Amino acid sequence: MQREFGCNHIDHEISRRSFVAGSATGAAAVGGLLTPAQAKTLKSGQKRILQIFLQGGVSQFESWDPKPGTKYGGPFRSIPTSVPGTHICELLPHTAKRMHLLSIVRSVDLKTNDHRIGRLRLEKGRMAGEFPYIGAVASKYLAPPNPPLPGYLHISTRGIEDNTNAFLNAQHAQLKLLGVNAPENLARPAGIDEEVAQRRNEFRRLANERFAGRGGQPAFTEAFDSSFEMARRLMKRKSLFEQEPSAKDVERYGSHPFGVRCILARELLNNGATCVKVTHHGYDTHAENFNFHLEQLDEFDKTFCMLLDDLHDSGMLESTLVNVYSEFGRTPKLNQRYGRDHWGASFSVAMGGCGIVPGAVVGSTNADGTEVAEREVGGGHLFHTYLQALGVDTSQDHDIPGRPVPIGDPSVAPIEELLA
Amino acid sequence: MTDIPEDEAASGSQTGNHPAPPPLPENPIDATQTHVVAEFKHDIPLTTCRIDPTGTFVFAGAEDFHVYRWNVSGDDTSKTIFAGHQSWVRSLDFSRDGKLLFTAGYDHRIGVWNTADAAPKPINMIDAHKGWVRWVRVSPDGKLLASCGNDNLIKLWSIPDGTLQQEFVGHDRYPYAAVFHPNGKRLASFDLMGVIKDWDIETGKEVRSTEAKFMWGFDQKFRADMGGARDMRFSEDGKTLIIAGLTEVTNAFAGVHKPMLLLVDWKKFEHRHKWKDDAYKGMVWGVCEHPGGFLVASGAPQSGNKGMLWFLKPGEDKPFHSVQLSHCARGLDITPNKRQLAVPQFDGKLCVYQMTAPHKAV
Repeated sequence: MQREFGCNHIDHEISRRSFVAGSATGAAAVGGLLTPAQAKTLKSGQKRILQIFLQGGVSQFESWDPKPGTKYGGPFRSIPTSVPGTHICELLPHTAKRMHLLSIVRSVDLKTNDHRIGRLRLEKGRMAGEFPYIGAVASKYLAPPNPPLPGYLHISTRGIEDNTNAFLNAQHAQLKLLGVNAPENLARPAGIDEEVAQRRNEFRRLANERFAGRGGQPAFTEAFDSSFEMARRLMKRKSLFEQEPSAKDVERYGSHPFGVRCILARELLNNGATCVKVTHHGYDTHAENFNFHLEQLDEFDKTFCMLLDDLHDSGMLESTLVNVYSEFGRTPKLNQRYGRDHWGASFSVAMGGCGIVPGAVVGSTNADGTEVAEREVGGGHLFHTYLQALGVDTSQDHDIPGRPVPIGDPSVAPIEELLA
Repeated sequence: MTDIPEDEAASGSQTGNHPAPPPLPENPIDATQTHVVAEFKHDIPLTTCRIDPTGTFVFAGAEDFHVYRWNVSGDDTSKTIFAGHQSWVRSLDFSRDGKLLFTAGYDHRIGVWNTADAAPKPINMIDAHKGWVRWVRVSPDGKLLASCGNDNLIKLWSIPDGTLQQEFVGHDRYPYAAVFHPNGKRLASFDLMGVIKDWDIETGKEVRSTEAKFMWGFDQKFRADMGGARDMRFSEDGKTLIIAGLTEVTNAFAGVHKPMLLLVDWKKFEHRHKWKDDAYKGMVWGVCEHPGGFLVASGAPQSGNKGMLWFLKPGEDKPFHSVQLSHCARGLDITPNKRQLAVPQFDGKLCVYQMTAPHKAV
């Protein structure tokens, strides 16, 4: 795979003005070049989430919180961004030019160095317990009635299966897409035409009604109903998976798996998806941390920025929360393999778009990056922030009969300074 | 160079007010008697080292962005700082007369310094590559400096003015090392994917290309490439290209692989011998040829802190001797008289070993 080279000194001379001028064509797109799907989605007023999950734990030093020249800073330099005074690592030159669209939280402490626990604390906004993931909550509260696509889509090729919807209806559970391939068994079996399929669905509906009428628990049939409904929606949108990305898109996003997955993510968002999560694997760098971050962030940086540009230029960024995160960061101290190990005590996440103050940096770590210096936040704070930015009142209870369960952890609050 | 009694030199101590002992006759080279004669301490991990052509100084890069100079003899353990880079320095070389030091920086620059300055400042800082400069080497006639970097290019610079003379285009992934053939007409390079190239210095054209894919691994789970040379040298007769690195990558992200040396028959441009240590998970970080007919290699393990010096006869599968280091090696160099070795370590120590029997304290 060809990699892009490091930026030169000229590239560091960035100004927000030059970016804004450069995206003038994009602004024009809002007026007249929207695809019908984009126009329909925008008109609906729906809000949505794009999650970019850097699986394994991206190094905060090599991304959002560089410490060049310090004891544990590593070899990479920091570069200025389109936000005066804000520097990020030189491995993110494209992101640096768009920093005015994003904000950084540099003071996350998840109190764990465990992959699974870190991920769960960020996704559920709770220290422990069975609670729905952000994507499932978004599906429940942001998806329109009869949404055109399943509410919570995750593009990945692996990862631990989990109960993402917890006590929410099964229709809000994550549907994992294996890369850009359509889910299996999407095609109708041979010999079953549309009419037969409709009759089968009607028969199933009647059987469910009969089951409920005889005192059966609706929850038993709801899960099946959700699966059928999800499949029906996906079958209608099968073309989303079948169309080859344009040569221009491939050139912009890259032909690597993360590139084509982000193209698919854009199409899913354009076509009414509520939460799309794209996982970029390969950040668990216990060895060769710097060489691997060169490779991984080179893939991430330009691809992510192309997706950000497309959302921005189409006007969808205003109604789309963008969230870049990992289950933790990486140790300040380097091990003997030039690796950094797991570190949940002081790391960073980035976000932008709908409801988020752009260009902000919240919190800080100490000089060597070994601990949070100010404004410590955890998964609960971020959970509240993401969802409140999207207009979900996380201080309320979930609408579960007989079970008042607060949407967000009532012991913590959103990061108010990030809420627009 | 005078041998240093082991019990004095290892601590870097001086002889105080006692009269200097008469010079001792030099013991013959005996690699199996290799022992520490000097140890220099720094508080930050070292990244590489080289000994200058006069054998007076040993230089080491460190993770604090600086290069440090010590006297090889160990009589004086104080260090001189060469500050000017804004990132790590992973490769060093010298002009033929030893007066100039060239440093390859991960800040994309090549530094040029006076080797012996008391208060060194860079003579020149060349914006050399887009991305890390991974390697520098001076040509046999001393007129050219080769560098390679993360822009996938190999470049030739004139010495001493630092003007760009030639660019070699052809590697698809990062070239890790580039070395001149002793005849001065060709240059060899080795990249992340195990591709070896032979370049014509005068034309800048690629002459030959071959592969050593076993020195590269693609981690299917994490989708990342791991490979490249950690050291590379020609034998003095120019018949063999010696490449140090890794093989059998089973888990790139945990650093699970084995150390490897590859000997390439330069005339036939084919692999002559592959050496790996099946009992040692880790990496070869440095290699030197000794005129006594053996190779010395330094290594770092995947876990634990026991670095290693291996002494090998070319073509043989087992080392005839090995020395355990106090921590992971980050390189290796040999003194011009071929009697001593310098090894930079991850724990910040730089150790000088002598390949003879120790002199008994007088």
